[in-house]
Amino acid sequence: MATRKEEKRFEKEMRAEKRRRLKDMKAAGIKPSLTPEQIRYNRNKAIVGAVWPIFRFFIIFGLGFVILYPLLFMISTAFRPNDQMFDPSIVWLPKNLTLENIQRTWDDMKYDKTVLNTVKLNLISSVLSVGSCALTGYGFARFKFKGKNILFAIVTLMIIVPPQITTIPLFIQYAYFKGAGLVKLFTGKEYISLINSGITMYAPAIFANGIKAGLFIYIFRQFFRGLPKELEDAAYLDGCGPLKTFIKVMIPNAASSFLTVFLFSIVWYWNDYYISSSFFTQNDTVALALKNLDATIMSTHYKNQSVSARQLIVWLESGCILATFPILIMYVFLQKYFVEGVERSGLTG
Amino acid sequence: MENNKNIEEITEAPVEETVAETAELAEEAVEITEEAADDVAFEAYEAAEDVAEENFFEAYDIAEDADEEIIETAEVETKAVEKKKITEEDMENYVYDPESKDKYKELEKKEKPAKKGFTISYERRKALYGYGFIALWAIGTIYFFILPIITSLIYSLHKTQPKSGYMEMEFIGIQNYVNAFRKDPDYATSLGEVLGSTALKTPLIIIFSIFIAVILNQKFRGRTLARAIFFLPVIIATGPVYDVITGNMNTGGYAGGSEQFSTMFETNLVDQLLTFLGIYNLPEKITSVITTLTDEIFNMVWFAGIQILLFLSALQNIPTSAKEAAQMEGATAWEYFWKITVPYISPMVIAALVYTVVDSFVDPTNVVMRQVLQKASDWQHGYSAAMGWAYFAIIGVVLAIVVVIVNKFVYYEVE
Repeated sequence: MATRKEEKRFEKEMRAEKRRRLKDMKAAGIKPSLTPEQIRYNRNKAIVGAVWPIFRFFIIFGLGFVILYPLLFMISTAFRPNDQMFDPSIVWLPKNLTLENIQRTWDDMKYDKTVLNTVKLNLISSVLSVGSCALTGYGFARFKFKGKNILFAIVTLMIIVPPQITTIPLFIQYAYFKGAGLVKLFTGKEYISLINSGITMYAPAIFANGIKAGLFIYIFRQFFRGLPKELEDAAYLDGCGPLKTFIKVMIPNAASSFLTVFLFSIVWYWNDYYISSSFFTQNDTVALALKNLDATIMSTHYKNQSVSARQLIVWLESGCILATFPILIMYVFLQKYFVEGVERSGLTG
Repeated sequence: MENNKNIEEITEAPVEETVAETAELAEEAVEITEEAADDVAFEAYEAAEDVAEENFFEAYDIAEDADEEIIETAEVETKAVEKKKITEEDMENYVYDPESKDKYKELEKKEKPAKKGFTISYERRKALYGYGFIALWAIGTIYFFILPIITSLIYSLHKTQPKSGYMEMEFIGIQNYVNAFRKDPDYATSLGEVLGSTALKTPLIIIFSIFIAVILNQKFRGRTLARAIFFLPVIIATGPVYDVITGNMNTGGYAGGSEQFSTMFETNLVDQLLTFLGIYNLPEKITSVITTLTDEIFNMVWFAGIQILLFLSALQNIPTSAKEAAQMEGATAWEYFWKITVPYISPMVIAALVYTVVDSFVDPTNVVMRQVLQKASDWQHGYSAAMGWAYFAIIGVVLAIVVVIVNKFVYYEVE
């Protein structure tokens, strides 16, 4: 792939060449003669070239607006005083801005505590998940063993089977965790409950069964399959074992893929509320706090009276801002890796 | 080694004998010809020659066989010498005679010194490493995936009653499934609803995301920003934030973002647009289709992020040679799209298709999923599991059929 600079230079050269040729033809007294088809083709191309960018601008602008609309609405409502929600003269710009909504929602969500907890859960789970999924993906990509196809079919099944099917049995497994007798050995109790502890997140992540793990394994497998085999052979010849080869040769080569999967993992763990709501009974993560925000607000500010949803909007939208802010900041700075990472990770091959 | 000597003795003896015999016969014949009449002599000579020939060929065959065996045994010997370097698989490739394979094994038994410990062939060792790499996943999958899945399958065949620490179960066969389809007033209809909306939404999302991907693949100013915006929903649309945005959140029916937004595109507006364009009296069906389409724009844009990305990466993998060839032939943009772009991105259609279907299918907010979860929180775990499994089975079958059909139209570049 030529870089943008090079492409520009090529184009310039091409244009210069064309001009030179036309000049030569003029000097020699030859009129540029084209067949009718060529003339038509050139004309059509010129028309499309002139009109299409305008269309394109409208399409992108319109659809971009559809995407950004809720975010703009979010910002617009989160900073306006609640009573101005009912002012028909205000559509977008409030008469004055306030931070009160944010502050109250911050308190209701116990934002500082929740965010720290979420970040902790999120980072640990993501790191573990990415590591174990990479190991598994590498195992599937580069080794031949019996039953590989069947095992990989299970990975595909992991992508397709909805987590809702496994939640209840998993809940029982966690709530009455026996650990094959180990628990009894150490604590003396028949079982312990893992509900509300971070282990319900970390344990599946360590064992490559975290959120969307099937997809990550698939991505890693595709990526490692795309790397040249010579890399490994060279490492083997130099006396590396497979594990050392993986750590010293494959991981540095797969860095961009790792980053992409890691970012996706963070996003999905951050946004997950189904699994965390199944295994956490308290508002421990941001997504859960946001999900229960309306109930919290109703009980704290309105003493459980039924209030119209319109009165809640400002709180909910400021809750949304609080919940998405960290991840949006991350996206703004690392957006390149989200978009380009998938392109490079070999998913297409 | 003993065999070897025997063979040599056997083979050498007949050769010498036959040679001697033929010589004698020949001499006799010569003598007879000298002494007797020409005819007799001739006959005798011919007979002698025949005999000699026969004997000679026999001898030759025997000798050849013997030679072969000698070569074989020699090979076996050399192998026995080299066998420390040769793996079992190699042996299978090189030894072509079952007998000599047996011999080789015998030899190996005899000459093999008792080894300390045990060694594994390279292939086996790599396979073991493979198992090692996936071991973590395998253990986890058994505990976190297979076990729960089997348990839930068992639940679906039982009437369940949760007790402390275990599930009290009463086997009722497929009664739960029968109930779900026969007795439940909502299940079958909402299943149809979900299937219908998925069937409508999936092709729309795919066509839409191809379209957007083609646009985003062109060169224009602000392309990076446009890409970032189109991918933004993936970052925030997966959680409760989306619920707030679409105004579904528990409260129901407040004028949240989506509703307020989609009013802009509502029926009246579409009708007005049509009248403005001079189109009157459209059949009811067409208007309703147009209305659903415009209403769906929001959902489409918000759920197409990953698909756009997939198609974008497929587009960037179109070889420049194909582009140049199309330009040389004077292809219009339209032709280029249908003859170059579509075939090249067609393998990605399957990936996008599966992703779209699975995404809308496991979405906890769709009607069937909500029912499944509702039943689970009503402590009817067996029933809930049965509903979930029936749903999963149906979608799985539909997905398989669609993938098989689409696969027929996919163009795979042979490399």
